[in-house]
Amino acid sequence: MQDIVNFFLDPTHWQGDTGIPNRLLEHLVISGAAILAATLIAIPIGLYIGHTNRGAGLAINLANIGRAVPSYAMMVIPLPFTLSLAPVLGYSPTFGLNFLPVFLAMTFLAIPPLLVSTYAGLRSVDRDLVEAGRGMGLRERQILNGIELPLASSIIIGGFRTATLQVIATATIGAILAGGGLGRFIFDGLNQGLAGRASIYAGAILVSALAIGVDLVLALVQRRLTPIALRTTATRGRRGSARLPSGDDGAELPASA
Amino acid sequence: MRTPRLLVLGSTLLVLLAACTSSGGASSAPSAAASAEATAAESSAPASAEPASAAALPPIRIGSDNFYESKLMGEIYAQVLEANGYTVERKFGLGSRQERIPTMDAGQIDLVPEYVGSGLGFYDKTKISGDGQANAAALQAAIASKGLTVLGISPGQDTNAFVVRKDTSDNLKLTKMSDLAAVQDQLKWGLPSDCDTNPLCSGALKDYGITYPPKQRSALGACDVPMATALQGKAIDLAELCSTQPAIVQFGFVTLEDDKHTQPAENIAPIVRDDYLAKVDKTAFAALLDAASAKMTTDELTKLGVEVAVNQKDVAEVAKTWLTAQGLVK
Repeated sequence: MQDIVNFFLDPTHWQGDTGIPNRLLEHLVISGAAILAATLIAIPIGLYIGHTNRGAGLAINLANIGRAVPSYAMMVIPLPFTLSLAPVLGYSPTFGLNFLPVFLAMTFLAIPPLLVSTYAGLRSVDRDLVEAGRGMGLRERQILNGIELPLASSIIIGGFRTATLQVIATATIGAILAGGGLGRFIFDGLNQGLAGRASIYAGAILVSALAIGVDLVLALVQRRLTPIALRTTATRGRRGSARLPSGDDGAELPASA
Repeated sequence: MRTPRLLVLGSTLLVLLAACTSSGGASSAPSAAASAEATAAESSAPASAEPASAAALPPIRIGSDNFYESKLMGEIYAQVLEANGYTVERKFGLGSRQERIPTMDAGQIDLVPEYVGSGLGFYDKTKISGDGQANAAALQAAIASKGLTVLGISPGQDTNAFVVRKDTSDNLKLTKMSDLAAVQDQLKWGLPSDCDTNPLCSGALKDYGITYPPKQRSALGACDVPMATALQGKAIDLAELCSTQPAIVQFGFVTLEDDKHTQPAENIAPIVRDDYLAKVDKTAFAALLDAASAKMTTDELTKLGVEVAVNQKDVAEVAKTWLTAQGLVK
């Protein structure tokens, strides 16, 4: 226990490329990049299959491959390709070793919860509301932006939280491919036998703290994004009293409330 | 998993008991040579004759650890013996050294392939050296009291190897470890992350006059697939691999000669139970296996590893093809 405390008190662990601040930054960069990429891929597809209810089975099952294949394999399988593409695409082979494969694996890990929650969020919206919108002459895009998205936002951000939590926790294994990030403390510790124990525990504590910290922030965001009328109730949202957007302007109503 | 462990435990106890009760007698004389001569004198007639009927030779149980190279060596020993009239019972894949050693001590197997460096390290890490014969002798000394004998070692060994691509070797004239210091800053090093604290890694590199740590280094697992892939993909220029790793042959890597013998010698030798040797003509038995071991160089072992681990060929088939090509079996 004392050696873990000493690990954190040691000033050399707070400086330079191998210090905690830089490792934390590296961890946030790779996780953030992967979550951003996954969001750009999963949310539009999720909105499409959720709104149209078409191709959902196919898309979700495809995405779930990312969850089914172990992240380590997801990282090592593309490695030969990310390395051999380096001279072709002009990035450094080191980037192809310690960033790209990890980035890809983390992106595939983040897609399923984002896609499923976006789809589920949209499907959870009361069909009567969507029909009412149509009856009022709203175009499909207006229905999506003004009715479905606001009502589904809390479920979508829930999926975003799951994805973020998983990615931050799993990005740790990027250390296997010479990656930076907080995983370094764990893997370097593992390689040092008994002497590395403090480093392992410190790394685990840092990763958990980061994951929980980010999750708490996202929980606040999720609460803000939940329409007022739905806040204290379960997130199912099947409530006639939900405040309804009434046209183009209405799109902003719940978010700004 | 539980039952076999219990069995091992139980049989270990039984053997211990047996050893205790019989320790008064002179039968467990440590002088293997003496007892071998005696055995040879007693039973020279049947054993030195043409490979006799299987009934004349006691069946032998050959074990191995649970990875391909150990199984391959076990299979080679097995086929050599079978070709000379022995009946072999294969008990391959006994796990790792921690599980296999008690199994052998308990008398459940008679022969097993062992790496003389790591095998010695199981008993005394401080005695490991870069000399294979010395390691074998020290291992023999460590296990003689258990009634085990180390036979002749192979010239080939599976130890830590520092490896570069062919182009790097050509461009920088790199063939041995002593060449590295002069060009160390031109290389991207792939080293395990425990290198800092491992005398066989950072210690060895310092012996070669290398300023440690090198400027550009990536932390990858030694002998891991990513390490080899990264070397092939030029993300690193020098990798720490295992000397018989299939990737070395697959990608045509160049292994730098460890000219100062900093790495533990890991030649492979069969370890046999003395109680089995006592039942056969020890000299003839050892000669059969020593002949096979003598042909097993690091190169040969690596190539066979490619056949088994990469091309997924059957171990028995690979062993047979090799033994035939070497003229060891017909």
